[in-house]
Amino acid sequence: MNKYSPTEFTISIDTTKRFVAFCERNAIYVLSIVLSCISVVAFTAYYFNGFGLAYNDARSHLDIGRRVVEGLKPGLAQLGSVWLPLTHILMIPTIWNDFMWHTGLAGALQSMIAYVATGLLIYLFLRELGASMFARLVGVAIFASNTNILYLQSTAMTELLLLATMTAGAYQLLLWFKSNDMVYLIKSSFWIMLSTLVRYDGWFLFGFAAILIFSYTLYRKGYAPAEGTVVLYATLAGFGIALWFLWNALIFKDPLYFIFGPYSAYSQQNQLEAAGVLATKGDWFLSLKFYVYALAYNSGAFTMFLGLAGAFVMWFNRRENIRVRVASVVLIAPFLFNVIALYLGHSVLFIQGLSGDTWFNIRYGVMMMPSLAIFIGYLVDRVRLVRGLVVGLLIFVMFFSITSSDTVTIDDARVGSSQKNVTEVSSWLTDHAKNEKGFILISAASHDAIIFSSGLPMKKFIHEGTGAYWTSATRSPDRWARWIIMRTYSEDDSTWRLVSKSPGFERYNLVGMYPFADIYELKPEFMADLQTEPVLGKQK
Amino acid sequence: MKKEKIFTALFFSFVLLVLLLGIRGIVGNPTAETINNIVWTDDGPLELSPDRGRFSLLYSIAENLSLKFSLPIARFATPDLGITPNGEYVSLFAPGVSFIVLPGYVVGKLFGVSQVGAFAVIALFALFNAGLVRAIAMRLGASSYAASFGALAFLFASPAFAYAVTLYQHHISTFLILSSIYVLLRWHGWWSIAYVWFALALALSVDYPNIVLMVPIGLWALSRIVWFEKDTRGLRFKISFLNILTVVSVILPLAFFLWYNTVANGNPLQLSGTLKRVEAIDEFGKPAQSQLAQTLGLAVSNPNRKKSAINFFHSRNLLNGFYTHFISPDRGVINFAPIMLLGFFGLAYVFKKNVTVGKVLAGIIGFNILLYSMWGDPYGGWAFGSRYLIPSYAILGIGIAKLLEYSKKRYIVLAICMTLVSQSIWIGVLGAVTSNRNPPQIEILALEKISGREEKYSYDRNEQYLASNHAKSFIFNTIGYRYISATGYRTLIASLVIAMCALLLGGLLLDTQKEKRHE
Repeated sequence: MNKYSPTEFTISIDTTKRFVAFCERNAIYVLSIVLSCISVVAFTAYYFNGFGLAYNDARSHLDIGRRVVEGLKPGLAQLGSVWLPLTHILMIPTIWNDFMWHTGLAGALQSMIAYVATGLLIYLFLRELGASMFARLVGVAIFASNTNILYLQSTAMTELLLLATMTAGAYQLLLWFKSNDMVYLIKSSFWIMLSTLVRYDGWFLFGFAAILIFSYTLYRKGYAPAEGTVVLYATLAGFGIALWFLWNALIFKDPLYFIFGPYSAYSQQNQLEAAGVLATKGDWFLSLKFYVYALAYNSGAFTMFLGLAGAFVMWFNRRENIRVRVASVVLIAPFLFNVIALYLGHSVLFIQGLSGDTWFNIRYGVMMMPSLAIFIGYLVDRVRLVRGLVVGLLIFVMFFSITSSDTVTIDDARVGSSQKNVTEVSSWLTDHAKNEKGFILISAASHDAIIFSSGLPMKKFIHEGTGAYWTSATRSPDRWARWIIMRTYSEDDSTWRLVSKSPGFERYNLVGMYPFADIYELKPEFMADLQTEPVLGKQK
Repeated sequence: MKKEKIFTALFFSFVLLVLLLGIRGIVGNPTAETINNIVWTDDGPLELSPDRGRFSLLYSIAENLSLKFSLPIARFATPDLGITPNGEYVSLFAPGVSFIVLPGYVVGKLFGVSQVGAFAVIALFALFNAGLVRAIAMRLGASSYAASFGALAFLFASPAFAYAVTLYQHHISTFLILSSIYVLLRWHGWWSIAYVWFALALALSVDYPNIVLMVPIGLWALSRIVWFEKDTRGLRFKISFLNILTVVSVILPLAFFLWYNTVANGNPLQLSGTLKRVEAIDEFGKPAQSQLAQTLGLAVSNPNRKKSAINFFHSRNLLNGFYTHFISPDRGVINFAPIMLLGFFGLAYVFKKNVTVGKVLAGIIGFNILLYSMWGDPYGGWAFGSRYLIPSYAILGIGIAKLLEYSKKRYIVLAICMTLVSQSIWIGVLGAVTSNRNPPQIEILALEKISGREEKYSYDRNEQYLASNHAKSFIFNTIGYRYISATGYRTLIASLVIAMCALLLGGLLLDTQKEKRHE
């Protein structure tokens, strides 16, 4: 050893082996703790900077959950038909608490749990693919550090729960493809069934997975086993869909009410088409372009391209088990669903630069995040030669994504068509109605954000879901509603549509005009005849 | 060996000749009184704000012995002019280039061509870069024919040529990158590491983003200070304390950088790029808004807004950035230098030869593309092609050399290379002899509103300029125009380079034939 020899530190083979074994044993627990901490920190940060409930839809989701347990006509029927019910059902245990309702935590809690679960599922998925510990952690990090995912897990939205259930379904499907053990298929069916109760993306996954299962079994074993396997799968996986049809038939007397009802996406899209802004309908190229943009803005263009590369490496790697390759095709279901939905006009995306200067539903781009994370994890594992380089470049982009607060979903929520700053009107209500007796007549379909932001109890409001109160109040508002909140002259606002024609409407003064709604108050001379107590009792 | 030396000398002479034919400029030394005349600006050699900004600082140092701009110089530097909190006009660019080209300016001034002298220094760096591309490619196993072809492809078949003949930072940045790679590739002593730290620190003064582009090289150098080896005993971490001392080489360039920031910007850590930007100066000498900004309807920027070096980059810009750099008609590599795309394939062969170098080269390209795709202005303002990718073109030149070497028996690859390089040279030379004043496509409508005519934004704008018998080359403007048209001048230079590339390919083929015969 000469005087210029470097100084050495040696870590023995045993120590490294023990460390690797420790990581293998405890990674799930450590990851659970780390992801939980990140989740809590993100929720707290977004809550305190005021973005936590920026999405109009987040407030509506919370109100739907709240109406099940509190209001003039509480009950399960309040789950409605606009959105699928699982998110709202999961709120029920906590939404009764005002703190949980108004902080949004009742809705965010499930998103936060789903965030942790999805992170773990990505880890497990990659482990099943034979990826190294490092590659697995890279996959998890891609997902967990995405600022759009972090934002959506901090709000009462449905995306994270969908991602968790879909990824769980895909993971169990992978296990089934690998082992052919029916238990995994049943587990997969269960998770896919749950996803069908969160968002309609789950319905596509249900069908897509069915095709995969059928094709694969048909190829391997023939028609009869294929038929049997699909029936087994579909019985449980399609159970939620069947229940939803049944629910709509029982509550709304039409099994297809959720599709064609007045508040359905179909109805919304018809309005947009009439306004000439449903550009993607009937145009494959534009549908693909819009969704690719949404994907790139949510995941980051570099992440998207790396994910694509990972998918190709996985599918065209002949050394990879064919079963794994087939099973992993299920990961692109969200992509196919969104492009097809845009093409058919069942979905709408506004992207700044492509559709004027606004955003709408850009968050749909996060649906591929777990898939991209898995593909990239796989890529990192397989291209060992440039592993450090790929990870270094990812960290580099991630750094700028975080430092520049590049969260397109916040823009979508704050400045896009999804936002609704109702502070003025809700503040008026808080100031004038909080300590006064009397009901507020309002359309929840149009103004749920106002109901939420006012901070008033749900039982203060007469809305479409309050049965006899709504019927009576829209016929004779002066007998039931001290205040009416509605968009004057807007036929889309059911309160205006019904109340403006009633004779009692003349007994109100217009006391406030705001961007999203106007406020009418009953003239003092008619207060004596006003009903201020919930006298109709329990309704069916 | 002697033959090789002659070949090298011929190669350098040829590159020098073509660079000399391309160098821009006109006879005369601009003064404070004349510098804002259109013959120096839009119609002349200092046509855009990046070169004007750097020339302003150069002029201030050489003529006024000051880092602050006098009013005529400040007007000259707009719309990329900085203003300090004290209201003094200073450069918005990193200062390194202006200091490095100072000797060229002084010598040029003696001959009555101060700007040409300054540009010649940049051309000299471009010459070094071509040599370094060639040398690195040869170190990585390419023959001198293939390596020379790669070097010519880099310099003349890409927008690198257009920025080798005027006052931009790109070739100095590229030189620092390439020289660091070469030094680490060739030598393993402590001084090679010291050189890398020196170059890294100096690169900061040349252009701030260089610090990012040089990260892979920095890590490579670091791996010679701290590294680990895996063997049967376990993981062995090794640290060379002697090599740690090499870090002291950053002191000089860093001290210069901090000194400049202190004197010019009032704070050692205040980067020029983070100063408030002045787009125009009104008749009272106060900051105003530019005509284009008014036409575009841009709000007057808040003078109190804080700028941060990091906030220039947004990951959301990536998709548009990728499109701009690779596909767009106004800047895309596909349109301006399609030969460069072959370089990506060639990089795979670098990995075969030397994994570490492969990673470093790919890393530099990766950081280069990602960084400038995240930037709000991936177009590089008004520019010829994607100028920010010039360091990547150099590395892709190495890739092209490797691709040729490995594909020398595949005639189809050679034919594709020759076709693409010819097209790229044809466009590259066009940019060099004409102008870099190509607006980005997004500004076209506003520009047409101002000019009242159809405005082109790709290299067809340069063709238009050339067709009107205009060129900005110094030699053309002083002697050439008497004997040849501008179009003929471009054809002459492009033909020379294409012919040289064809000769090199011919040499490569001959070598291959000889090898076959030996086998």
